[in-house]
Amino acid sequence: MKHVTGDLEKTKDALKKLLPAEDILTFGFAAQRIGFVCVFADPITDKDLLGEQVIRALLSYDGPPSAAEIAKRLTSPETKIEPALENLAAEVLAGNPVLLFEGMDAGIVVGTKKVFTRAIAEPSTDVAVKGPREGFIEDVKTNTSLVRRRFKTGELRIETVEIGRRSKTNVAICWLEGTTPAATVEEVKKKLSEIDIDIIPDSSYLTHFLSTRPYSLVKQVGTTEKPDIFAAKIAEGRLGLLVDGSPIALTLPYMLIEDFQSSEDYFVPPYRASFTRILRLLALVVAIYLPAFYVSAQLYKLQLFPVKLLLTIAGSIRDIPFSPSLEMLLVLFVLEVLNEASIRMPKYVGMALSVVGALVLGETAVSAGFVSTPAIIIIAFSGIGLYAVPNLIEQTSVLRLAMLLIAGSIGPYGVILATAFLLVYLVTTVNFGVPLVAPFAPFARRELKDSLVKFNLGSLKIRPNVLKSPNKRRLK
Amino acid sequence: MKISTRQVLFFLACVAPVGKLILLPARLAEAAGNDLLFPFAMHYLLQAGAVFCALLLAKRGMNFSELLANTFGKIAAKVFMNIYALFLFFAALLPLLEQKLLVQSVFYDTLPSLVSFSPFFLFAAFIASKPLASSGQVCDLLAPIAIAGLAGIFILSAGSADLAALSPAFASGAKGILTAFRNGFGWFYDAAFILPFLGTFDYKKHLALKGTLCYLAGGAAVILFAGIFYGIFQETATNQLFAFTATSKFFSGISTLGRIDYLFIFLLSLVMAFYCALPLQAGVECLLQAYGRRRYLPTIFSVAVCAALLVVSQCTDYRFTEVLGAVGKQLFWIFPLFSVLVPALMLLLRRKRREIP
Repeated sequence: MKHVTGDLEKTKDALKKLLPAEDILTFGFAAQRIGFVCVFADPITDKDLLGEQVIRALLSYDGPPSAAEIAKRLTSPETKIEPALENLAAEVLAGNPVLLFEGMDAGIVVGTKKVFTRAIAEPSTDVAVKGPREGFIEDVKTNTSLVRRRFKTGELRIETVEIGRRSKTNVAICWLEGTTPAATVEEVKKKLSEIDIDIIPDSSYLTHFLSTRPYSLVKQVGTTEKPDIFAAKIAEGRLGLLVDGSPIALTLPYMLIEDFQSSEDYFVPPYRASFTRILRLLALVVAIYLPAFYVSAQLYKLQLFPVKLLLTIAGSIRDIPFSPSLEMLLVLFVLEVLNEASIRMPKYVGMALSVVGALVLGETAVSAGFVSTPAIIIIAFSGIGLYAVPNLIEQTSVLRLAMLLIAGSIGPYGVILATAFLLVYLVTTVNFGVPLVAPFAPFARRELKDSLVKFNLGSLKIRPNVLKSPNKRRLK
Repeated sequence: MKISTRQVLFFLACVAPVGKLILLPARLAEAAGNDLLFPFAMHYLLQAGAVFCALLLAKRGMNFSELLANTFGKIAAKVFMNIYALFLFFAALLPLLEQKLLVQSVFYDTLPSLVSFSPFFLFAAFIASKPLASSGQVCDLLAPIAIAGLAGIFILSAGSADLAALSPAFASGAKGILTAFRNGFGWFYDAAFILPFLGTFDYKKHLALKGTLCYLAGGAAVILFAGIFYGIFQETATNQLFAFTATSKFFSGISTLGRIDYLFIFLLSLVMAFYCALPLQAGVECLLQAYGRRRYLPTIFSVAVCAALLVVSQCTDYRFTEVLGAVGKQLFWIFPLFSVLVPALMLLLRRKRREIP
């Protein structure tokens, strides 16, 4: 590794060689006796702060040309003396200007990074009627401050690592010392240190490396956009990861039941919370299985319909030119396209899309005899049902399609067998030593108190055993 | 990963009973008439004894093959493990064929069995290639599913049953009851599943007693169901081949709600799929204990066994009555031999572990 030499011009040239990009600027100025050169990345350096904390502070400097003395004179709270040229270049790229001067064999790094942040707002994917409305943003420092605010204890540890050969993304590992198992912390750190990728644009990239079954459809890392949920999970004995540039925080180990719980469940009476959790599960089951059930009943076992309903269905499908499975696939395809388009398209055409989707595609398709009304009702209900558990949409929408294809080709027994496959797969998925479907398999009676049913806060005295927290008791 | 005691108990109480709800009630009613509960009870008592013995073996902390090798040596153990695996594959045939018949008749109005049922073999191969602990884990999920399915069928069926049809007791005489008892052997070999699972669970606090009681509790549910079944169909019970799908269709709400009982039938069929795959998994485990657990061996064994059974099931497509007759009349002795006698005799094996050369 090359180091700074006492020759200012040579050092400046060497640094420029390492940073040939046009937006890396150098700026020279002189104090009473010493000539300085400041190297900085123009778009990500706060130049006002640089002027205020560095240049103004040094203009009247007439002390010895010593890095330690000069650093003391700077009014910036973040300064560092760094001799290695490559490290200095990395700091410049991170937005921290480097100060060089004649006769000194080290540079001074000044923390005047320009931070672009949006305001803290309620996340659109995780809305709660009752409870905190803060959401994480893209800046990791702001996010760690949101977490720190909730733990006024030294037990909260935040360790930052850099991941990505080119992006050098800051990832903050957060855990509660003495509550999160040390083995989990070590395993996560080890897995993170083994990641060798050029850039980490979002936290979702890390989930691939943190999953036991990286190619699985099944989610194995928890996600949240809300600091209150993040803090609650850490307090339970989990570990959290905040990734710079991503508002989505990761939590580990993950259990499937987490996505059936909402932050609001803890702020409403337990009866209501239990009811909504069961409702979410039922909605999800119906969303996945209803289209498959309808198709297999139509194709293979009409007896499954009550007689009156059968007559209604028979009346509405009489002139449909497609087979039941093809018809259902068609409607599902339209729904998925509408869904995808409504997320991506500009908001000002959203209204037009609703009109086209609801009236043109829906009503006109039925009156033209392309698809039947029951098919549209079923897919619409299934579509709504999926959103009852929004964090699992990526998985459940694929499962729904798979069940539909199986129902259309093999029928009801195929759906039963696919469910059996799914059960075996789910119970054998274990990440960081925690089974995905705990506390149901392995069954843990005590931990059911905060699963599909939610007991009163006074009953939740012990942390989930399955997380193997060394600090078991949370309520005395 | 180990199987917990609770998972063993869940299997005995909730999963094992489900395999006796398809053809068995009609088969026993054929010979015993309204006395069908007696052969059921006799089988359950006999198997409960075998389950007790098999669970006691877990105290020794050795697996099936180690237990045998400890007394008879490695070669004899290997030979016996092969024979036992063959028994389990043979035993799997009957529930497999009856489930195939059920699927074809109840779930489909028209569809060839090759399309409708052959995916089962894919599933069986998948689960048979997994470690035994996965079956234990699944039992945690299957227990509430089985309870919900059974409870639903009971609730929908109970109102239509005339339990007075079960009296007078012993109307068919000892001969009828014993013939039914003999015919039912093909369905009772639950203790045989436990042996290959030895070593994957620890013996804790009266496991043998608890397991036996759980098995008997599951048996009580089956006997209750058989009573309801006979109470509904009475003399025509012998024609009702798929008992648990037939009893609930007289529920008064079905005319307005449709066949809501199918919801419970589906739940029980899900449990049955696991129950049918279990002897295959246990058989593959016997082979693995005999030949060692090399990298691809579990997959090779499970795929080979399932492919063979697929062929057999296709060949016996129209010969189910003959299979039933052969199992009930000529080959019935095989089941108590392997599922009752073997666990009981194994209690006599050497208790202390010795060095095996």
